[in-house]
Amino acid sequence: METSFALTGKGYVIIASDTTAARSIVKMKIDEDKVKALGPHLLMAHSGEPGDTLQFAEYVERNIRLYNIRHNYSLSPSAAASWVRRSLAESLRSRHPYSVNLLLGGYDVPAKEPHLYWIDYLGTMSEVPFGAHGYGSYFALSLLDRYHNPDASLEEGIATLKRCIDEVAKRLIVSPSKYTVKVVDKDGVREIEV
Amino acid sequence: MSRSYDRALTVFSPDGHLFQVEYALEAVKKGTCAVGVRGADVVVLGVEKKSILQLQDPRTVRKVVMLDDHICFAFAGLTADGRVLIDKARVECQSHRLTVEDPVTVEYITRHIAGIQQRYTQSGGVRPFGISTLIVGFDPYDTKPRLYQTEPSGIYSAWKANAIGRSSKTVREFLEKNHRDDLTREEAIKLTVKSLLEVVQTGAKNIEISVMESYGKITHLDLTQIEAIVAEIEREKEAEAERKRSRLAATAAGQAAMTQRAGDAGPSQ
Amino acid sequence: MLATANNSLIAGRTTIFSPEGRLYQIEYAMEAISHAGTVLGVLAKDGVVLAAEKKVTGKLLDLTGAKEGGYGGSGEKIFLLNSNVIGGVAGLTADANSLINHARTIAQRHLLTYNEDIPVEILTERLCDMKQGYTQFGGLRPFGVSLLYAGYDPQYEFQLYHSDPSGNYSGWKATCIGANNGTAQSLLKQEYKDDIEVKDAIGLVLRVMSKTMDSTTLGSEKLEFAVLTLDPETKKPKAKIYRPSEIDALLQSEGLKKEDEEMKP
Repeated sequence: METSFALTGKGYVIIASDTTAARSIVKMKIDEDKVKALGPHLLMAHSGEPGDTLQFAEYVERNIRLYNIRHNYSLSPSAAASWVRRSLAESLRSRHPYSVNLLLGGYDVPAKEPHLYWIDYLGTMSEVPFGAHGYGSYFALSLLDRYHNPDASLEEGIATLKRCIDEVAKRLIVSPSKYTVKVVDKDGVREIEV
Repeated sequence: MSRSYDRALTVFSPDGHLFQVEYALEAVKKGTCAVGVRGADVVVLGVEKKSILQLQDPRTVRKVVMLDDHICFAFAGLTADGRVLIDKARVECQSHRLTVEDPVTVEYITRHIAGIQQRYTQSGGVRPFGISTLIVGFDPYDTKPRLYQTEPSGIYSAWKANAIGRSSKTVREFLEKNHRDDLTREEAIKLTVKSLLEVVQTGAKNIEISVMESYGKITHLDLTQIEAIVAEIEREKEAEAERKRSRLAATAAGQAAMTQRAGDAGPSQ
Repeated sequence: MLATANNSLIAGRTTIFSPEGRLYQIEYAMEAISHAGTVLGVLAKDGVVLAAEKKVTGKLLDLTGAKEGGYGGSGEKIFLLNSNVIGGVAGLTADANSLINHARTIAQRHLLTYNEDIPVEILTERLCDMKQGYTQFGGLRPFGVSLLYAGYDPQYEFQLYHSDPSGNYSGWKATCIGANNGTAQSLLKQEYKDDIEVKDAIGLVLRVMSKTMDSTTLGSEKLEFAVLTLDPETKKPKAKIYRPSEIDALLQSEGLKKEDEEMKP
């Protein structure tokens, strides 16, 4: 079942998402990448209605790229998140709303700070130190409450993430087998193994 | 009343001219010069840039811009028109990626730009864009360098090498004489600089060079690199002139000797 | 498309190319601006300074609004475009009012969409796109206005831009539009230093203004003045458009106040 986590640390954001694509009770695929790099310092995990998620993520990706190439300015994480939230809120009030939940993490280069935003399909947005979507969130949030440290090093952050993954593997009735994990910091975006 | 034909927006005159389009070309001819040169596996874009005034911010004076990661663009003519057209092209590049998941080909975006330019020669109540453009780049999954040109009329065409803007005719003739299909990277850059020097009297500081070597790989040469190339070209010219002078001197000396001998041999007066 | 003209009378009056490829309407608009009140801007390390010469003066003009109400300024030359951008205008006042309105709308729309203050260059560019549209679409004449934009954003920090009726814009360290701009430009070129600070820039701006303005008097009735700096506590841009009494005090302290005997009450 779909699960995504994200947490901030000292100068970075880690975003992790499961890799299953399922329809009804059938796993169609177990290597789907659901964490998209939207720019040199911006990551977004998307989950929800399959199809909607991809369509919306690509739409966001292209619009953010367009903004960068048009203006020679890169959108700050907070500006990008506000734009995404607004797009979702407008879509919600249209005839065919997107049903997408997002975790948007980025590194604000001029301000030298990491930022993480939790956004759901109703257009709710809040800036959070950590966040999660899907069934995994029921198990992960209490762990993150206990172990999250905003000044943690990357290794410590990854260790906290592992606790979440292990707990979900232990307790969730149908737990995902694999995760993609990506990090964004001052050097940009990269995928890591956990 | 032939006068009314060049007053109204773009309409045919009795002898079949579209005056506004022709006048727009005049605006292009006033613009700064831009040169594109295709080599064997590289394409070079060179532009003449106006001197940046002492108190001006160089970041905001841009003559060569990227339309997407793999397409480079230069124009000659009205700057504001250029900016608006660039904006439209950039939207199309991303929109194309969104619809078909592939980056645009160079020809596609050229055709799109030319299409916009054509519409502005025909639709009601608008004047044509006062710019010609050079579009260079590589298609996705391809190694062939590409160079296209568009004009205010909406004509577009592929070129091995071409120039637009001020004195473009002189530069084009120079390119026709000196271009080869198998130019290496260095040769293509040198030819671009050399052709620009035909119109730019002030040398390296008013030249901007961008080189595309493969899909998405672009380098903008800095001033010292361009200065080095200009210096090399000047040395060659000097050497050439020197050779010419000595050859001339040799022929002159030969001729003098011959007349001397002819004088010696001829009958005295 | 902004408008479609099928009336040939209107179409005849739009901006079209001359046989030499020039757009006379734009050139005439620029001519109009070269007679307008001077606006001068100087970019400093820690801020931007704008000053403008007021042309509409008169003994009976009611300026009480500028003295107490609003956010400063008399509403003729210098305007607050957004909390991080001040604009100075030279040209047709009515056109300028309309452009200011557009600029403010653009800035607010950006705030609504991105929840951040609009970056200065983007505001300039958007407004210039509109100016360009008025040189290309049917039935319209260009805006007879040049603007200076003094602003701040986190990426490029303090900036100063200039835009003209054609829709061109560029960034500057110090520049000037309107009447006598040539004299002012050369004065700026001589005196500008790259690491100038706001307090010196204020002096420089006032000195240049006092030399280029035609009038014999220099006081708040002839001058508008504004400074954009960072608030030392919040680190957010702080735009200050001076009120008449503050301008007079400033001129006094710089020793540049020139008064006409007749103007005294």
